[in-house]
Formats: sequence, C-alpha cells, structure tokens
Amino acid sequence: MFETLEKYWNDGLEPTMVFELFNQGLTLGVGMTAILAALGVVVCSSPIYSALYLIGHMVCLALLFLLYNAEFIAAVQVVVYAGAVMILFLFIIALLGAKKEELKLTDITLERFIAVSFVGTLFCELLMTLAVGETKPVTGAMTPEVLQQVGSAKAIGLTLFSKHLIPFELASILLLVATVGVICLAKFQVKPIRRRTR
Amino acid sequence: MGTTFILFLSASIFSIGAIGFLIRKNPLVMFMCVELMLNAVNLVLVAYSKFLQSMDGQVFALIIMTVAAAEVVVGLAIILTIFRTRHELNVDHIDVLKG
Repeated sequence: MFETLEKYWNDGLEPTMVFELFNQGLTLGVGMTAILAALGVVVCSSPIYSALYLIGHMVCLALLFLLYNAEFIAAVQVVVYAGAVMILFLFIIALLGAKKEELKLTDITLERFIAVSFVGTLFCELLMTLAVGETKPVTGAMTPEVLQQVGSAKAIGLTLFSKHLIPFELASILLLVATVGVICLAKFQVKPIRRRTR
Repeated sequence: MGTTFILFLSASIFSIGAIGFLIRKNPLVMFMCVELMLNAVNLVLVAYSKFLQSMDGQVFALIIMTVAAAEVVVGLAIILTIFRTRHELNVDHIDVLKG
C-alpha cells in the first residue's frame, strides 16, 4: 500500500493507480474488520452474540474472496456458511436456550496459562512464514485475463471434474456418511441417566 | 495487498480461533472457533490461488467448506443428544461417553 502511495506522490494521479489504492485500502479495512469480528466471537459471553459476530466474520471473508477474484467461492461462502451453517447454529442456540457463560477473561488458571502459551508459540511459528517475504509472482494457466473470459464458476468446475475428481467423490461420500450419522443420532432415543454425584 | 498481509491476517484469525477453542467452555462456541480456524485456512488457499494463478486453491477451499458443513451437522447433533441426557452444556462436566 505504501509503495503505491509513494508512486502516487511521485508520478501524479492516474486512474488505474486510484483503483489500485482503493482496492488495497478496502482489503486492509475488510481484513481488520474480520480480525475484530473473530475477537468478538471469542470474547462474547453469550453464544447468540458469538454467532452474530461469526456471521459478520463470514461476510468479511466473502468480501475478501471477491477482492481476490474468487466470485464463486464468495457466493458459496455467503450461501453455505453465513446462510446454512449459521442458521443451524442459531436453531440449536434457540433450542437449548442461550445461557450466559460467566467468562472472566482476567483471572489466570493453569489451563488458561497453558492454552495461551501454546497458542502464542503457534502464532509466532505462523509469523515466521512471513520472514521469507513476498511470494514472487508466478504465471500459471489462469491469468486474470483468462479468468475474466472463462468465469470463476466455470474455471472451478473444469478443474474440479478433471484434475480433482477423486477428492470431489470422497467429499460426496463424506456428506452421505454425515447424513446417515445424523439420522442415527436423532432417531435412536437414549435413556436419560441419573446425574453422577461427585 | 501482497502475500505478507494475507498470511498475517490468516495467522491472526487462526490463532484467535485456537485460543477460543481452548479457553471457552460452551461446546457451541467451541464449534464456532473451529469454523474460524477453517475459514483462516480458506483465506490463504483462495489468496494463493490468485497469486499462483491456478484454480487448485479454490477447489480445495470448496472441499474444506464441504467438510466444515458435515462436521458442524454431526457435532451439533451430538451436542443435542448430550443436552437431552444431561441437561447442561459445559465441556468440563461431560466426562462420560456412555449415554
């Protein structure tokens, strides 16, 4: 972003540069909103607020997908995630009653200390991937011009049904297994047990 | 924006999801944190599909979405069954698997 600003400062205003600058500013803004929404999911004590923050996060991610030329994935993200999956979550919350969990983020227990140190290490390791710097641009089969001509959905379909046919079929088997499993879980009643006294 | 920004963004979201999964006690919120982690991975796959100019990343993002949907459906059914037998939702108190 700063390089673009510098170029703008040196060379004066050009329409493509304004577009580029706008694009990068939008990416930055939407990305930061996604991080904030993710924090909201973790920090909110009531599950219903967590679910609403998660919907916001999904929409932010769909916008990011749009900015990265993946229109079909963005549409699927909104329909499947923000639509179907989150509606399922909200149904379950409505069914079970949204009880507030008393969440004291300030007090430090041993488990919490272990969790924070573990995730801190993980985060630092992930940040080490940044040390290699920017990935060099690679020219592949799907240049933006080709993608513009073919369309995102058709390009995905062509790859999915030729090169990645086996993962696609395995995914269909996975969905079948999930359906059968859920029917089994819902159909066979289990007798309630007396709660264990401890 | 370049790859550095997207990797940083994805690392942050993944870590937030991981910490949420470890410190929250409500299984519903834990599932939402798993969704956060899966979404972070999706973001990197889609962004790199643009940088490498290949469609493979987007195909795998699609497959991850399928896996996430199946996982959520089965997980929520299990949570519902546990709630029907035990009438509470706290992962610390769920310590027997037998109905």
